Order: sequence, then C-alpha cells, then structure tokens
Amino acid sequence: MSLLSLDHLSKTFRTAGGPVHAVRDVSLEVKSGECLAIVGESGSGKTTLANMILGILAPSAGEIRFDGQALPARRTATERRRIQFVQQNPLSALNPKRSVGASIRLGLDTYRIGGRAERWPAVEAALEAVGLPGEMRHRAPAALSGGQRQRVGIARALAVEPQLIVLDEPTSALDVLVQARVLRLLDRLRRERGLTYVFITHDLAVVRNIADRIAVFRAGRLIELGETAALFNDPKTDYTRSLIGAVPVVDESELELRTRLAEGP
Amino acid sequence: MSLLDIADLTLSFKGLSGLTEVLHGISLSIAPGEKVALVGESGSGKSVTARIVLGLLQEQKTARIGGTVRFAGQDLAALSPRDREGLRGTEISMIFQDPTSYLNPVFTIGRQFAEVLRRRDPGLARAACEARAIEMLAETAIPDPARVLGSYPFQLSGGMNQRVMIAMALANHPRLLIADEPGTALDVTVQAQTLKLMRQLVDLHETAVLFISHNLGVVREFADRVYVIYRGRIVEDGPTAAVFGDPRHAYTQALMAAVPRITGDGLPDVPEVSEAFLAPKVHHRLRSGRAT
Ligand SMILES: Nc1ncnc2c1ncn2[C@@H]1O[C@H](COP(=O)(O)OP(=O)(O)OP(=O)(O)O)[C@@H](O)[C@H]1O
Ligand SMILES: Nc1ncnc2c1ncn2[C@@H]1O[C@H](COP(=O)(O)OP(=O)(O)OP(=O)(O)O)[C@@H](O)[C@H]1O
Ligand SMILES: [Mg+2]
Ligand SMILES: [Mg+2]
Repeated sequence: MSLLSLDHLSKTFRTAGGPVHAVRDVSLEVKSGECLAIVGESGSGKTTLANMILGILAPSAGEIRFDGQALPARRTATERRRIQFVQQNPLSALNPKRSVGASIRLGLDTYRIGGRAERWPAVEAALEAVGLPGEMRHRAPAALSGGQRQRVGIARALAVEPQLIVLDEPTSALDVLVQARVLRLLDRLRRERGLTYVFITHDLAVVRNIADRIAVFRAGRLIELGETAALFNDPKTDYTRSLIGAVPVVDESELELRTRLAEGP
Repeated sequence: MSLLDIADLTLSFKGLSGLTEVLHGISLSIAPGEKVALVGESGSGKSVTARIVLGLLQEQKTARIGGTVRFAGQDLAALSPRDREGLRGTEISMIFQDPTSYLNPVFTIGRQFAEVLRRRDPGLARAACEARAIEMLAETAIPDPARVLGSYPFQLSGGMNQRVMIAMALANHPRLLIADEPGTALDVTVQAQTLKLMRQLVDLHETAVLFISHNLGVVREFADRVYVIYRGRIVEDGPTAAVFGDPRHAYTQALMAAVPRITGDGLPDVPEVSEAFLAPKVHHRLRSGRAT
C-alpha cells in the first residue's frame, strides 16, 4: 500500500537570473514500510523534492497525498509530526543558541508528547538510541564533531515518533563504523516501528545495502526507478550505469561489478 | 623536506566540567606535492587538527594547544596572530566540512569569491575577479557558473555550495590545501571531477594536500599515504596500498570491514569498541610496505 504519493510534482524557482526548474513533473509512490532511496546528480532537485514532501516548500504544480489524503503545503501540527526530516547540513539544521537537548525537546513540547517530567529522560533516551551519551544534551552544536551533530539530527527526528522520515545524506558525515551502526539502527527501527524512509544520498554502496527500491534523478526528472538488486545488476539508463561505474571502491570483487557496468550492456 | 610538520600535537578544551582532552600527541607530515589522507573515527580530532594548522583554534580561548606545528619550516606558534591570518586563504587554504557554516548567507557567491581572490591579489578588478571565478567554477563541473555567482548560498544545492568552496580553495594556488570531507554532497561523477582538479593542482604547483574523508574508496584512489586516527591518537600510517592491502591495527581492520560494498552483502556487522583499538601505533615503512 502506498503511504506517500507524488503526482506530477514540479517546482520552479524565480530568481534574478531567470526561472530555475528544480523539479519537473515527478510522479512517485512510496510504499508503507519501505526504504526508498533517491540518488542522482548533484543539483537534480532531490532536496527540493524533500522540502515539498515536508511542506517547507509549496509545489509549483502537482499534488502530494499522504495516507490517502491530499496534503496541503500549509500543514497542521499533526500532519507535520507524521513526516520528519533529517537534514543534509547538520550544523545549519540545529539552532546554534540552543543546547542539543533543547533542540530535541522542542519537538516533544510542540507535539505534547509524554508528560513534562518524562521529556528530559526521553531526550536522553533518543540520544542513547543513536549511540550518544545522554549527558551530551547539555552541549552546544558547535562543540560537537560533524558526525555527532548528524546523529543528533537523527535522534531529534525519531523522538517525535513519525510515520515517514525523509533522510537527506544522513550518514555521509560519519565514519564507516559509526555509519554501519546508524544504518543498522535505522533499519531495525524501521522494522520495529513500521517506519517508512525516503533516503536521499550519493553513497551508492549504502543504498545497495539498505534500500528496497531506488529512484534516480537527473536535471529535475525521475529517470529510472527499480528494485535495488535489479537496478544494480542491469541499469536501464546510461546515466545510472555511469553512476554505478564511477563509485570508488575498496574490494576486488566490487571492481569487477564496476568494470562490467562501465563496459555497457 | 616536509612542508607541513606536526609533532606531538595535543589539544584540550576547557569547559564547565574541567578539561576535555581531544588530541593526545599527533605527529604527521606532508611533503610538497604529496597527497596525504587522514581517516578515522568521527569525533577523533581530524577537523580540530585542520583548524590548528589553519591557525583558527589558536584564537579560541577555551582551547589549550601543545606540541609544534611547522609550516614551511616556521613554527606557527611563533607567528603573530596577524601573520598566521596572512597565511590563510593564500598559502594555506581549506575546504570546510560544512559549506553553510563557511559561506556567508547574506552575500552573493560572486562577492565572496572576489574577496577570496583579493586576499592574494588586492588590486584585482571586478571584471577580472568575475572571469577568474567563472573559470574556476566551470572547472568544478558546475552548470551555469554565471547564475551561481549571482546566487546566495541558500539558492544553491548542497553539492553546488561544496563545489563553490572547492573552487575558492583552489583559486589562489595554495601551497597547502586542507580538504575536510570535500565530497560528501557530490555525486560520484562530479566527485571524480573535483579529485581530478586537486590532482592537477598538485601536479602543476607541487601543492601538498591534507585530505580528510570517511570515504575509504575515494581515499584509496586519491591518497599517496594514509594516517588512521582513533580517539585523538594516530593508530596506523603508511603508503595507501600498504594500509589498505594489509591493515594491521585492530581499529583499521574494523574500519575496513565496515565499508559497505556495492556488491550488496548486506549491512556490515560491526564489532563493539574493543580494547585492541587502543593498541600502539602501527607504522608501514615507505616502499618496503613492511609494517613495524
Ligand atoms: N531557494 C532557491 N532559490 C533558487 N534556486 C534554488 C533554490 N533552492 C534550490 N534551487 C536550485 O534548484 C536546483 C535543485 O537544487 P536541490 O538542492 O534540490 O538539488 P539536490 O539534488 O539536492 O543537489 P545536491 O545533491 O547537490 O544536494 C539547483 O539548481 C538549485 O540551484
Ligand atoms: N569548540 C569545541 N569545544 C569543545 N569540544 C570540541 C570543540 N570542537 C570540537 N570539540 C570536540 O573535539 C572532538 C574532535 O572534534 P573534531 O571536529 O575534530 O572531530 P572529527 O574527527 O573531525 O569528526 P567528524 O569525522 O565527525 O567530523 C569531538 O569530540 C568534539 O566534540
Ligand atoms: Mg541536496
Ligand atoms: Mg570533522
């Protein structure tokens, strides 16, 4: 069953230098409980699409439906709580003047989750769920490493118990060991809590191992959509083929796959 | 002779709960024309090391720094803050991990680019700045560089801002380039292009590069030598082929095993933090590739 559906969605920005067509006529279904990856060219409209799903940007054309209902660009608190965001830039995503704990707590207060007395413990539990010590809630974002900030962003999204999480490069700032832990955690939470993910990333090796399906974007358009294994073994477009063929790898066996794809069908 | 020589660098931060030690004696050197990678744990001290080399943490009151950092034979601690500042953006430039924290949100890219170019060449005319900026942006494979120059950072995608920063860092032909996670927001084809640009700079100007990255595939393809850092200590270092082909330290081994593979073997199963991660440093000698 589809949880989120995008119907002929477009976004054009008017700028001093003329219109920028960031997203062009994209239609896409996200199934309940799946992890759908969005990959593609830098500047191809992935973050813009995420912002429309989240209600941060209004579409220029098209419709977004969630759980069978049309979602307006202006959302109610309940609608906002159901779709959460983990942003691409962890530093700008967190208010520098607030402690990280206060940033996480804000969501709990806004959506009135749990009693007041339970909220600080809930904040600490959210930090611990992503592998950070609970007492880190007292720190300012500037006193955290890039990877620590990124995990705070994930903790903040999880804390309000959403149905869908849009993750924009959630693990690119993490070392691969921490990344593996966070990905396993995301994967486990998805199964346990029945979460649905829209996972935006440039890391195709991560996508290969976590996504059910992959959508490939280029110049604002959805150019290819398929099951993960099928798309890797037999990409339908030259662009997807060239993307997989350019992934920097560490293993011999990976080199073989890459070379086979680079050579063409 | 090395261009950058870091010896026994220590760092701690003074906070409400006393001193927090971050670096426990890091030693690292880079020769002109050499591409050296620093990889390792998130939060282990890579970016702070870079910020010390750039002379930025010296200005922060809560930071306590020990050991020595020599750039072109000069002890950075012996320079006045003003002289250290003079090196920044001309002799030493840096691609920051988070472009939005570096780029000023209220000025156009064009204006910020001109400022960078004028650090090296104060009299540069506006038209010349613009031409040079467009040329550099085009080299990072940014479509429509003229639009980018007229834009504010929020009007650009994550990867476009990252390429703007790369272009700015390369524009003045620094002697030392510090690239802190320069490719996280780039698709793999654009990333390959930016790596090519950095290699060209190295080949043409003997630039030394300190390359900080979590992407071990990129490190394997780009770097000549690698240092692996864990909790403020270097745990393994040597030529790239030796460290990747024969990782000896328990932490390096765990790191390599955790790299997700495009062959799709599932999410790697990661070991818990182990005592062995704190074992003494492993050094692979140049050429022989034998670990000591
Ligand atoms: N607020 C805005 N005003 C004008 N143009 C914008 C704005 N936001 C995005 N754009 C433009 O829309 C296009 C798509 O940007 P978007 O951030 O969605 O790309 P992306 O696919 O997320 O790229 P990346 O992988 O680099 O993060 C780009 O050309 C960008 O310059
Ligand atoms: N200004 C500061 N005050 C206090 N602690 C700090 C400050 N800046 C950094 N730290 C701490 O120093 C440690 C090293 O941080 P650094 O940013 O160098 O990590 P990193 O290796 O670059 O990690 P990442 O890969 O996640 O970017 C971290 O534990 C961080 O929390
Ligand atoms: Mg983006
Ligand atoms: Mg860092």
